[in-house]
Amino acid sequence: MKFKHASLSRRLLVGAGVFIALALVAAALVIGFVLHRFIQGQIDQRLDTQIVFLSSMLTAEDDGVIAVAGNADGPPFDRAARGWYWEVVGPRNVLRSRSLEDASLDVPKFPRPPHEVRPAPADGPGPRNEALHFRIQQVTVGRNAATIIVSAPRTAVRGPLREAMTTLAISLAVLGLALVLAIVLQVRLGLRPLERLRQAVADVRTGRSERVPAEQPLEILPLVSELNGLLEQNAANLERARRHVANLAHGLKTPLATLAIALSERGGDATAELHSLVLLMERRIRHHLGRARAAALSGPTRAQTLIAPHIDDVGNVLGKIYADKRIAFAQNVPRDLAVACEQQDFDEMLGNLLDNAFRWARNKVEIHAHHEDGRMVSIVIEDDGPGLRQDQIPQVLRAGERIDESAPGFGFGLPITRELAELYGGELNLDPSVLGGLRVMLRLPLAVKRLLIGDNAIPD
Amino acid sequence: MKVLLVEDDRLFAQEIAQALRHENFAVDIAANGEDGQHLGETEAYDAAVLDLGLPKINGAVVLRAWRKKGRHLPVLILTARDGWTDKVDGFKAGADDYLTKPVRIEELVMRLRALVRRSAGYAEPRITCGPLTFDAQTGVFELNGLPLRLTALEWRVLACLTLRKNVVVERSELNDKVYEGDAAVDSNSLEVIVARLRRKIGHEMIETIRGRGYRLTSGDL
Repeated sequence: MKFKHASLSRRLLVGAGVFIALALVAAALVIGFVLHRFIQGQIDQRLDTQIVFLSSMLTAEDDGVIAVAGNADGPPFDRAARGWYWEVVGPRNVLRSRSLEDASLDVPKFPRPPHEVRPAPADGPGPRNEALHFRIQQVTVGRNAATIIVSAPRTAVRGPLREAMTTLAISLAVLGLALVLAIVLQVRLGLRPLERLRQAVADVRTGRSERVPAEQPLEILPLVSELNGLLEQNAANLERARRHVANLAHGLKTPLATLAIALSERGGDATAELHSLVLLMERRIRHHLGRARAAALSGPTRAQTLIAPHIDDVGNVLGKIYADKRIAFAQNVPRDLAVACEQQDFDEMLGNLLDNAFRWARNKVEIHAHHEDGRMVSIVIEDDGPGLRQDQIPQVLRAGERIDESAPGFGFGLPITRELAELYGGELNLDPSVLGGLRVMLRLPLAVKRLLIGDNAIPD
Repeated sequence: MKVLLVEDDRLFAQEIAQALRHENFAVDIAANGEDGQHLGETEAYDAAVLDLGLPKINGAVVLRAWRKKGRHLPVLILTARDGWTDKVDGFKAGADDYLTKPVRIEELVMRLRALVRRSAGYAEPRITCGPLTFDAQTGVFELNGLPLRLTALEWRVLACLTLRKNVVVERSELNDKVYEGDAAVDSNSLEVIVARLRRKIGHEMIETIRGRGYRLTSGDL
């Protein structure tokens, strides 16, 4: 894709930059033209005044010889050879300004016939080859026609124009720079909500929030609602897939249970063997149900589960299931400690481990939890039961193996718990306990503090 | 001992009921949540075995309804849902025990007997009344250390009296706990059963309280 990595801010900046440059160039051209017209007008006015002055001083003899009555060489026409000249061409003679110093003006061809009312402009080289600007008018002196030509150096226009244009160019450049800076700022500010949106989506991914907050600029709002819709749909699909797997598993279990009962009632000699087959099928179903649930987890999980209430709940359940054992269950778990796991998966791990502990304990089960280095939570469960020999430990962690096939015990719960823990980036370790039985340490990632968005904040 | 079995899978319900009857339990079956809830609210049972995924009314809802109406019978949830979250929810709804399918019938019977015994107020599995001993774990009666051979009906009557020893058990309650819901109850037959029991364990052990019911005494009161 051509625009795969196109930058929005670059697009905006380049677009604005080109537009500003074009606008400034156009402004310079227009202002230059106007200035030129203005300065030219000033010079023309000066020359036309001289024409009027000259024509008022012209006298003519009867024979057609013309003369200037008085001094017509007022400044700047008094300065020699500077381009400020005048010349009056009569029918018999020619009058010249002193500044011409005996040179004559090579009058250019009239751009248009000399006019009686308004002087005509013309441009051309002067006697010293300098560029001159002329004003020419035909006047009548007595009964004779005469042509008055006055000139100014072109530098009289160009000098001030250049000066004005330099100032203008500097001003426009400063203006352009200021505009570009303003655009840069505007783009930065304008694109900031996009950066905030990125952060919000990242928060959703890491589990800090459940959805993208809806307090967004109007232009981004549709995108945000689409995003949230996608998140909800995703969660719903995941939930539906999980439910289907669970329904399949549960649907298989009742006929399996019927089979198991029927076997034990009238299975004859083969009962034990057939029953262990039924149990194996049940274990496979449970295993794959657990895997299917766990497989839905990928990447950092968004879920958070406070562990203390779940330990209370599971402890209460086991207290009832093992009511006759009257196990003393001691727990020391900070109330605000949360793990980054789905609640059901945490229940599964905790339930399996505590169930084992209650099953094997003589009269005491202890659980305590703390967080390590702000990243992991360690949950330690100890019992005073028979425990395991060091060489039995790898065996009980392998799927589908039991220490004692006849007694319901270690075997199923531990491998699935370890698998789940590892899927979440945690681990399960078994050691002898100081209480005499088994010490199980479950390590799970610590949940980051959830942002208080919507209704999914951690309850106290 | 009479158990209410609420289970929608007909085949499974029949297998369980047959196995429980084999262990001397009287069993009423309800095939959906609505019937189950009604039976649990109107009939006397020593325990209930309740499935969760039931037609019409969900098992957890049935259980909550019973508890709300003050029905304290011990309830064992028997379900295919083996997740700990389901288990916790089941107990929160008021369950006393929880087993997942497939279940070993021995395990179910053992748990049911333990539930009935505990709800009768006995912490230990062996209940003694004079020369008579009832092992509520195995369901075996012994008289002077020798096992008693009893029919299912005799066993039910004696278990009921033993769990309430020294207390008068009303005839109507005995009838309820001994006969299954669809069995034709003949009030005379209860007297026949008691008479047979007296011959087996001694006449002085079971007192007749006229117009009310029977009482099991240790005989040396």
